[in-house]
Amino acid sequence: MRLTCPSCGSRGLEEFTYRGDASVRRPAADASEQAWVDYVYLRDNPCGRHQELWYHGAGCRSWLVVTRDTRTHEIFDVRNARDVALTERQTDAGQGEIA
Amino acid sequence: MADQLFPVPPVKYGSLRVGGMTLEQSPFAETVSLGAFLGAGRDELVNRIHEMFGVILPEHPRAVHAADGRCTFLWNGPGQWLAIAVEGLGLLSRLREVCGDVCALTSQSDSRAILKLSGPNVREVASRLVPIDLHPRVFGKDHVASTLAGHIPVIIWQTEDAPTYLFLVFRSLAASLFHDFSVALNGLSYSETDSCV
Ligand SMILES: [Zn+2]
Repeated sequence: MRLTCPSCGSRGLEEFTYRGDASVRRPAADASEQAWVDYVYLRDNPCGRHQELWYHGAGCRSWLVVTRDTRTHEIFDVRNARDVALTERQTDAGQGEIA
Repeated sequence: MADQLFPVPPVKYGSLRVGGMTLEQSPFAETVSLGAFLGAGRDELVNRIHEMFGVILPEHPRAVHAADGRCTFLWNGPGQWLAIAVEGLGLLSRLREVCGDVCALTSQSDSRAILKLSGPNVREVASRLVPIDLHPRVFGKDHVASTLAGHIPVIIWQTEDAPTYLFLVFRSLAASLFHDFSVALNGLSYSETDSCV
């Protein structure tokens, strides 16, 4: 599997580390216990497209949001996690899925 | 009396010549990392460096040379660069004056060693260890890349069209990288093994 880092270009998997589901969002401080349990412990195991965080540790040290098919490893999209977070903050859609 | 500390070179061998190619330690360089502060720090940093050094800090993995030729800036991640100069320029104090208020400056001179690989066929030798495409169509003079040489993190910088490569490597891993390159060099050359037969 190869990922195309927005800064570094196409690189092999050995340069990256998987850092988990990119679609979870931290609940409000006063959210229910269940919401926090979901956020901290519970993850879906999707068959198909999945948004996930990858860290380019052996390259530019950027965090990336990668959209990957969990069945085929087909990569649909790679974006800087920083840009994704900033866009979200601007559109004030911090609680939902990444658009 | 306290024991005196003696500087020890990161690689104890001088240089290695195989099949007309040379692997050697590049002379000591002053290295400073620049990390732009959030907000307007980045643009201001680019402006200040442009004013003082006559170059635009690159947005992509490239090396750019100061107008006076005494200092080079390497892209080192988004909003981050490495400044490299020959020893004795006082690079850190000069940068502190120019842009110390808009970016984080850290001396990296002691953190890294630089190995230089030059001569014919060095692209093939480097390709044995580095997993990125070094074909001249995509990687040319003053291109840089942060990647792995085998399992060792390196910054590779092509300094000549010929090509010649510099490898910036964490100092404690420099001897291992030197060894790995010596194996790669000998594996490619006919002369060494031929003469042993
Ligand atoms: Zn990268």
